[in-house]
Amino acid sequence: MFLGNLASLRYFLPEFAVTATILLLVVLHVVTKSPRSTASGFLSLLGVGAAIFLAGVAPAGAGRSIFEGMVAHDGFAVFFKVLTALATLVVIFMSMDSRDLAGRSQAEYYIFLLSTLLGMFLLSSATDIVMLYLALELVSIPSYLLAGYLKGQERSTEAAMKYVVYGATASGVMIYGFSILFGLTGSTQVAEIGRSLAAGKATLPMLLASVMVAVGFGYKIAAVPFHMWSPDVYEGAPTPATAFFSVGPKAAGFAVLVRFYYTVFAAADPGTGLWRLTSAVDWPFLFAALSALTMTVGNLVAVKQSNVKRLLAYSSIAHAGYMLMGFVLLSSAGIEAILFYLVVYLFMNLGAFYVVVLVSNATRGEEISDFTGLGSRAPFAAVALSIFLFALTGIPPFSGFIGKVYLFAEVIHRGVYWLAVVAALNSVVSLYYYTRIVRAMFFEEPKDASAIPVPAVSGALLVLLVAPTLILGVYWEPVARIAADSVRMLAF
Amino acid sequence: MIAPSAYLLLSAILFGIGVVGVVARKNILIILMSVELMLNGVNVAFVAAGSYLGDAAGGVFAFMVMTVAAAEAAVGLALLIALYRLKETVDITELKVLKW
Amino acid sequence: MAGFLATVDFSNPYFAVLVLLVIALAMSVGFVLLSQALGPKRYDRIKYGVYECGVDPITPAAVRVSVKFYLVAILFILFDLETTFLYPWAVLFRSLGWFGFIEMAVFVGILLVGLVYAWKKGALEWQ
Repeated sequence: MFLGNLASLRYFLPEFAVTATILLLVVLHVVTKSPRSTASGFLSLLGVGAAIFLAGVAPAGAGRSIFEGMVAHDGFAVFFKVLTALATLVVIFMSMDSRDLAGRSQAEYYIFLLSTLLGMFLLSSATDIVMLYLALELVSIPSYLLAGYLKGQERSTEAAMKYVVYGATASGVMIYGFSILFGLTGSTQVAEIGRSLAAGKATLPMLLASVMVAVGFGYKIAAVPFHMWSPDVYEGAPTPATAFFSVGPKAAGFAVLVRFYYTVFAAADPGTGLWRLTSAVDWPFLFAALSALTMTVGNLVAVKQSNVKRLLAYSSIAHAGYMLMGFVLLSSAGIEAILFYLVVYLFMNLGAFYVVVLVSNATRGEEISDFTGLGSRAPFAAVALSIFLFALTGIPPFSGFIGKVYLFAEVIHRGVYWLAVVAALNSVVSLYYYTRIVRAMFFEEPKDASAIPVPAVSGALLVLLVAPTLILGVYWEPVARIAADSVRMLAF
Repeated sequence: MIAPSAYLLLSAILFGIGVVGVVARKNILIILMSVELMLNGVNVAFVAAGSYLGDAAGGVFAFMVMTVAAAEAAVGLALLIALYRLKETVDITELKVLKW
Repeated sequence: MAGFLATVDFSNPYFAVLVLLVIALAMSVGFVLLSQALGPKRYDRIKYGVYECGVDPITPAAVRVSVKFYLVAILFILFDLETTFLYPWAVLFRSLGWFGFIEMAVFVGILLVGLVYAWKKGALEWQ
């Protein structure tokens, strides 16, 4: 059932690729004395590319529990590995020509980025709470350093400090929940914990534990009562790192949230694609409330932001709220909707941030006023940003619409009408602040009308991000099918 | 033999003191220390549960928590020094460059 | 009270320690409280001064410590705690065999890369 350590190695190749790249980067950095070389950027591109290849293109047969039950090698994990590695790949491209990082030693930056990626790999596949905790910290600790990478800049350092305080506290609360679960069930295996809890009665400690664990995961996906760190961190961190935080760790957070709660508190019914709650803790209701709260707070606060980075931070909080809708339904279709939305969100959100990087490279600012007249100054970037923003709103021909359709359809199908109404109202609110940027770009006169040059490589990357956003809006079948195939989780 | 509940009580008290410290104190250094206190409370619970159940996993988990806590503290302290050099203060209420 | 005393196991070897603990606690707390209650309270400049074995203090009590100590402390904490993983490995060294040895070699190798990094970055130099 569980593969031993030696036999597991061949199912762990993507992780090895990333680890080897990290070590190589360290060695390369101390051996060569040129801190500003782009070699480290290309090396990490290579490493992440290899990881994507090993994880997604040529995966060793999925459907195994490896390393004595520590880690699952299943479709769900493979999906998230490819997703997070893709996000990292785009972010590395973004970082290589970002003004934020120019003039600093970049080797450590890529080391932290890849360490976070390794953590996300493990987080999306962990089936043991020891591994889960380690993976969560492996995502968090390099993230603190990424946020504070602009040493000497007050914004960045302050953001990192806040991130550490929130992050350490949240993971402390989560792990206290783990200790209660371990004491109640006598096992560190997630599936084993689930079985023990299903056999026993619901008790107060159990409720307490599940809430405490939710704090840790909620912090990782920046769901509302635990979101306070995210706007500050998103604004203070270097912009490529912000783009990374808003997609990568968030996706990994959803992976672990789904895997943990669905294996611990529910059991799959193979016939109907529905999951039965095996314990009396009613977490779907808990998370439905969290979902509604998250999207509402995210959107309402986003309305009054003038800094685009911060606006996108709040909008990404709201998007976590939308995705949580799929989580509360106890159906495989709900999880599929989350996975599909994450793919769509990856492209549109990274794309939006990429345009912010390009604009702030030229204008040295990321206020909405810096975007005025972008329609004439850099038409292509402006059109691309509009596409991303309309996709984020969920307007029809774009991919975000299909993502939302999947989520809404499932919510309505399961009869949780109030949540659908809340989400619909929220989309309307979000339309307001997204169009504010679009209006500034096309209908407001800029103070400085000089053209903003978009380098050919950046343009190409932008095309690569726009294309899926457009294509997935009309032809989404293959991705939806991959998402459906990936829902099968191991529960040993 | 002390009853397991006594250990759990100790762990809850340690954890509680840590939480109060995080919430109530202004000095970031003390907040980081309080976080360590929370984690130590967790460790007590893990070791107690592990020894009560006769399962080494409890001790293993405590080891992991200790090392991760060290890494977290190292990063936290390093950032704190960087922050102090910029702002000449370690008061968390002074961190207000970023706010909504 | 009698019922409680019946539950106490006087033959427990640690009972004496408990008695010692209770007496020590009672004495120390008692003396502090007594001196609080009975002692005269006259505050002046010398009373507020720093106590250094009766000698006038020569430096301020809050000494500035070089920030370099932080770096050393951070490195020490990290490498010191990583060695905790060596203990269980050492205990089970024989039963783990060559596989365990290689695993630990990889672990120590990664730590070594970290050490080399810290070294090359000049973190170990005092000046």
